Amino acid sequence: MSRWIAKGLATGLRTTRFPDSGVSGEEQAPSAVRLRWQGLSPGQALQAASLCPTAAIEASGTEEAGELRFDAGACILCGRCTRQFPQAFTRVADPRVAVQSRDHLRSTLRWGAGQKPAPASLSAAASAVQLAAQHLFRRSLHIRHVDAGSCNGCESELQMLSAPYADLHRLGLFFTPTPRHADVLLVTGVVTRNMEEPLRETYQAMPQPKLVIAAGACAISCGSFAGGPMTAGPLDRLLQVDAYVPGCPPTPQAILHGLLLALGRATERYRADQEESGGA
Amino acid sequence: MRRPIDRLALEMDLGVTWQGEEEACAVCGEEVFRDRITALAASATLSDLFATTRSGEEPTLTAVLQVEDDPGWLLVSTKLPGSAFSALTPQLHLASWYEREILEMHGLMPVGHPGLGPLRLHQWPENHHPMRGQHLETGPLPHSAHTAVRPSVSGQGVFQLPLGPVRSGPQESAEFLFSSGGEDIVEVDLRLGFKYRAIEQLAEGQPAESVIHLAERLAGTSSFANTLAFTRAVERSIGATVSPTDQHARTLLAELERLYNHFGMIGRLAEATGLLVAVAQYGMLKEEVLRAGGRLTGHRYLRGALRVGGMEIVLSPVDRERLRAELADWSQRAARLNRLLEQTSTFIDRLDTTATLLPDYAVEHRLVGPVGRASGIDRDVRRDHPYAAYSSVEFDVPTVSDGDAEARFQVHAAELRQSLRIIRQLLGGWPDQERPEDPPRWSAGSALGWAEAPGGEALHWVELDQNGRVLRWRARPPALVNWHTFAHACGSGNNLTDYPVIEASFAISVAEFDR
Repeated sequence: MSRWIAKGLATGLRTTRFPDSGVSGEEQAPSAVRLRWQGLSPGQALQAASLCPTAAIEASGTEEAGELRFDAGACILCGRCTRQFPQAFTRVADPRVAVQSRDHLRSTLRWGAGQKPAPASLSAAASAVQLAAQHLFRRSLHIRHVDAGSCNGCESELQMLSAPYADLHRLGLFFTPTPRHADVLLVTGVVTRNMEEPLRETYQAMPQPKLVIAAGACAISCGSFAGGPMTAGPLDRLLQVDAYVPGCPPTPQAILHGLLLALGRATERYRADQEESGGA
Repeated sequence: MRRPIDRLALEMDLGVTWQGEEEACAVCGEEVFRDRITALAASATLSDLFATTRSGEEPTLTAVLQVEDDPGWLLVSTKLPGSAFSALTPQLHLASWYEREILEMHGLMPVGHPGLGPLRLHQWPENHHPMRGQHLETGPLPHSAHTAVRPSVSGQGVFQLPLGPVRSGPQESAEFLFSSGGEDIVEVDLRLGFKYRAIEQLAEGQPAESVIHLAERLAGTSSFANTLAFTRAVERSIGATVSPTDQHARTLLAELERLYNHFGMIGRLAEATGLLVAVAQYGMLKEEVLRAGGRLTGHRYLRGALRVGGMEIVLSPVDRERLRAELADWSQRAARLNRLLEQTSTFIDRLDTTATLLPDYAVEHRLVGPVGRASGIDRDVRRDHPYAAYSSVEFDVPTVSDGDAEARFQVHAAELRQSLRIIRQLLGGWPDQERPEDPPRWSAGSALGWAEAPGGEALHWVELDQNGRVLRWRARPPALVNWHTFAHACGSGNNLTDYPVIEASFAISVAEFDR
């Protein structure tokens, strides 16, 4: 046993400095896709929509007058649009992609008849419940995770949160086995019809105040499974969601950002159609 | 000199037609199907049994067999005149779950099956069969997590301990009901299917190139292997060829997936035995492999890398050089950690004789993957049915026959070494050739594809129309086979406190089973 202790000490500190400072190059991973409208002509917009295997890019109309809707919450990062139209669709390497409002993951472009709507205000107003929760949970937070029908990719990334690189415990965040001790319900997966009732029971077993986080494209929008015969989701149709973490699966750092965002300990940085941000 | 498949087919009076060098198809009448498959299974292995139903057509049953010493596969199919067939299960126990699935999904009755019951649709209306294209009205299903599973044993002093579907920690949803007399596990009744997403049904009618993205989401941690098997099924069906460079890239990424899975598996075993430093060390290794995958393919779980006829990505010389340096570091650290684990008695003693699956039992259920190879089943489709670039690299298939959790640990650890060895060889002889960029030429047809996923062989059968749309996709991931024996492994003389070790040692995916 002493050899294990020696091994642990010899390894030294490997944990990320995120979120205190930005993320290093090693920690960057494709976390979401962002759209630059300027890089896209109407014809290309229509073509991009036909490439997308989910409902992340949808278009209607013609080259003269039409509309393109981009939804980063439905994006599964398949890479089709980013390869075909790199000037318009780029992968965001900064994992701080969680948002508090579903609308912040969406963007709409109209051409011909209309103009692009003004971008939504960057600050989302926190609800009274959120403010109370943020005050209560600012030092320590217990998370109950529910797999409501994921592919196990999200669970794999959640398990990596406990590994030394991300180490969520240093931030006062802990997974708890029982919903009775939980402050946050972290949901992954499409919410299958078989999981709908167990999910509700888990939510009801949690004490007030409580926060809900939708992690991954499936929980946010059902992703590849939207409209499927066994799909009861997306999650915000069943429960009120306080933070959305896009990705398929979301990276460990993105999930951390989502948790801290729900707690008011981090700020939103991502917008679906934002120009390149100022970097880390 | 006849091939073993031809010889066997001749003996069985089956006329086979070869589709390429690797797939022999035979058709027989429904009245002899059961006897033929049972007779074939004496010298071959039944790897899959599935149904295809389409409105206006007679249902089809297809059996997939592996014949000893033949790199090809034998597919035997039959048309059913009605909606019932003679069950194989009374003669062939391993067909049990396949037949239950056929009844549940397609409504075809296996007459004479001794233990029918739902596999995935627990509290669903009778006579609802999703693969028949029936849709249920929306709204929650009548469900009660606490009463639905009935214990299969009872008696004085026996009590029940329910676990799931929402379990401790970030884990997949599944329900287990332990019957115990105090410490020992008498019996486990398990209920899966909570995550049933109807993935094969969703694929029907979609272009094969879009179904690739569904196949990638069949199971997150075996994304690449399952998608590779699916993509190969499509490619074999339309006769597409893949360049040697892309074959190398596919092999490399498949082994990278095995690396992070096996590091994760050993990490979970260490967690189940309370070795926190080992958990952290293996967690770091897994994270580093995931990061390497993210760098090479743009996705930590290697999604979006495969396409029909090749790869979407190119592994540049710079990427490969960097990976080579990382490989050396990983092998050194993995070897040291492995030595430490083997010298830690609290670890080895917990695994020794835990959840033993004896070789006879394993053969009867034809267990796949590392779980099978830890119970003496010397099978690996990478060696027995070579694909991608596996015929151009040297590797061993580690096999032991103890069948306990320790054997499974040893097999996983040995496979890690083999994976590192394979990647090293691939990097050493990389064929940097021009890749033809022909779009696939679609044609109607069907074919089987296979790949060795981290958990065992993944078999995917696909039928396409002339425009490349999927008419039927049958996924038989490894978990479908291995879950069948999980309850037996739990019950064989183990304690409740052994359970985390048992589950970790199986390294089995719920999503792969539920689909």
